Amino acid sequence: MRSLVQRVLTSPAAGLLMVILLLGTILTLFAGAHVDRRTGQEVNNFLNSNTLVQTATDASFFAIMAVGATFVIISGGIDLSVGSVYALTGVTMALVLRALGPSSGLATVLIGLAISVSVGLVCGILNGLMVVGLPVHPFVITLGTMWILRGLAFVISRAESILVPASLTAMAKASLGLTASLYPVPMLMMIAAAILGMLYLERTVMGRHIFALGGNPEASRFAGLRLGRIQMGVFVVSGLTASLAAFLGASFYGSASCGDAAGYELYVIASAVVGGASLTGGKGSAISAMLGALLIVLIRQSIRTLHLDQNYEWIVIGCAIIIAVVLDQGSARVAARRLVAAPTGGTR
Amino acid sequence: MTEPRRAAPWALAALAAVLAACSGAPPSPAPSSGEASPAAAGAAGGKRKIKIALIAKSSTNPVFLAARSGAEAAAKELGPKSGVEIEVAWLTPPQEDGQVQAQRIAQAVNEGADAIVISCSDAGKVTGAINDAVGRGLSVMTFDSDAPQSKRFTFYGVDDLKTGQATMAELATQMGGKGKVAVLQGNQNAPNLQKRVQGVREEAAKHPGLEIVGVFPNIETPQDAAAEVIRVNNAYPEIQGWAMVGGWPLFTRTLLDEIDPKRMKIVAVDALPVELPYVEKGLAPVLLAQPVYLWGYVGVSTIVDKLVLNKTVPERIPMELVRVSKDNLGQWAQQLKAWGFSDVPEKYLQMGASPK
Repeated sequence: MRSLVQRVLTSPAAGLLMVILLLGTILTLFAGAHVDRRTGQEVNNFLNSNTLVQTATDASFFAIMAVGATFVIISGGIDLSVGSVYALTGVTMALVLRALGPSSGLATVLIGLAISVSVGLVCGILNGLMVVGLPVHPFVITLGTMWILRGLAFVISRAESILVPASLTAMAKASLGLTASLYPVPMLMMIAAAILGMLYLERTVMGRHIFALGGNPEASRFAGLRLGRIQMGVFVVSGLTASLAAFLGASFYGSASCGDAAGYELYVIASAVVGGASLTGGKGSAISAMLGALLIVLIRQSIRTLHLDQNYEWIVIGCAIIIAVVLDQGSARVAARRLVAAPTGGTR
Repeated sequence: MTEPRRAAPWALAALAAVLAACSGAPPSPAPSSGEASPAAAGAAGGKRKIKIALIAKSSTNPVFLAARSGAEAAAKELGPKSGVEIEVAWLTPPQEDGQVQAQRIAQAVNEGADAIVISCSDAGKVTGAINDAVGRGLSVMTFDSDAPQSKRFTFYGVDDLKTGQATMAELATQMGGKGKVAVLQGNQNAPNLQKRVQGVREEAAKHPGLEIVGVFPNIETPQDAAAEVIRVNNAYPEIQGWAMVGGWPLFTRTLLDEIDPKRMKIVAVDALPVELPYVEKGLAPVLLAQPVYLWGYVGVSTIVDKLVLNKTVPERIPMELVRVSKDNLGQWAQQLKAWGFSDVPEKYLQMGASPK
């Protein structure tokens, strides 16, 4: 039991969680307060249910994508096309639903979800096939598909912003018994995606194979792992999470356009990296990727809550990412030195 | 021993602490009033205060920086006159993103804003958030680019269809009613720009001698826009005129050196200080200026009218375009200077000071 507690407390996720709590405390102290016009009560500008749920909602779309991207990063690859998969999924779903015309609320949600998953699946398979079949780094392949898929979204949508049926928005903005102005669905989906990702990565043989591939591809090959299948699988997961995020995003905001999620791939990768994923592969965590996304959104939020000039947003986020990566690489070097220095049969 | 990996989150926390230390936010400035509407009632014993969130499309576009100046000037000027303290919170995303705008609207609501003034990058994306804000008691108005299906109480801006028509009509005049024309569109998703392009097309159809070779979208940064114009000119050497529904490429001096004004004419919407040499040189003989400073100024004054002075506000407040040519270049330069633009070239100011 003590060992379990110790493991939890010393895990990178616990560290991130504590940082988020610390940052939250700082924001609470410095945010100031206002009078809620509905209740007449004084509320803290940060520590109130609406802001907290809103922050989680803002993070949820790229946190869900970050869970999938973490699979790819752990395997030693990278997926730059997630933002474009998001845009293509959104406009395809919106166009198909518009063409189908009105149907019942549940049917609309199910059809929308099916279309989204299908688009994500196709995009993931496309990426996976090219990464496995062509002797080109995933960076280049997904850089190409990033433009191709965004272009497809542009062509089929004719650059229109396409409204989605109101029943989808009602689903994504369901208050689930909370105050009418709280919308917890994206946040819950984010948590569910992160838990599922964690269970897959850490509790299944297939998940361990992904770590093995990223940690040492040669050893994995000699161990008889089917590397192509694993690579295909991680890109499919990445496509699926991007499409799930798009389904939620288009539903929540009520429309989809070809410009959606432009540049989000960088936030997604940053979330995974801040969450401890190593770009050289073999390391990463779905839960930490979600926390990384939350932390990035919280940093963005803090710039506004603290009344700082928001023109500094990119600088601050850039600094945060560099700090995380530099320290991560330092960690890898220290670990390598310890491994060399350890006596035979040394502990991990 | 603490591994560097464990230290990473703490380093980020330190960064956050530095941010907090740099913060200009007051530690706990909550008004003590228990009234339902702070704007209407104000804090007991203190000056009434209203907080207006200004959400433009992009904080890298100079026209929106002018709007910010206008909003801040209006707050400074109208606050004492109306007996309220007006705070303008600039919540514009760094780049155009309707989704981020929707998030900023929610943030403004959660942080106790009384009103929102927004130019919508994507009406579909922000309509739900605007309606939520109105549902929670905020007054929301749009400027520049509307969200007509939303519950905003008014829109302030030009008639985009007419703006497009006027742009093409001016270009047709400059080109003698004949020749090949390209249209620069900006962000394809912006409904106001789509409307302007529609106006350009409608007007072009009235001139049989004019042919539109293409409508070209561009990233709305000066360099990207100028590069797009150069690319299109190289691909279509027969182009003799450009109808630009926004002035993005003219925010650099690139095209002054690249295009011969005897061979090509440009008519563009907007006339910021940096664009004035194009008028002087004759490359852009006419610019149709939106008084962009007024987006912010009228935005704030309209909110004051509604929230403080309880005036009735019409559903649409029309903005008139200003035709800028060599004839009124100096006067326009003076106007820009008066609005707080610090980069108006001195020679144009002198033209305005001593008209011919």
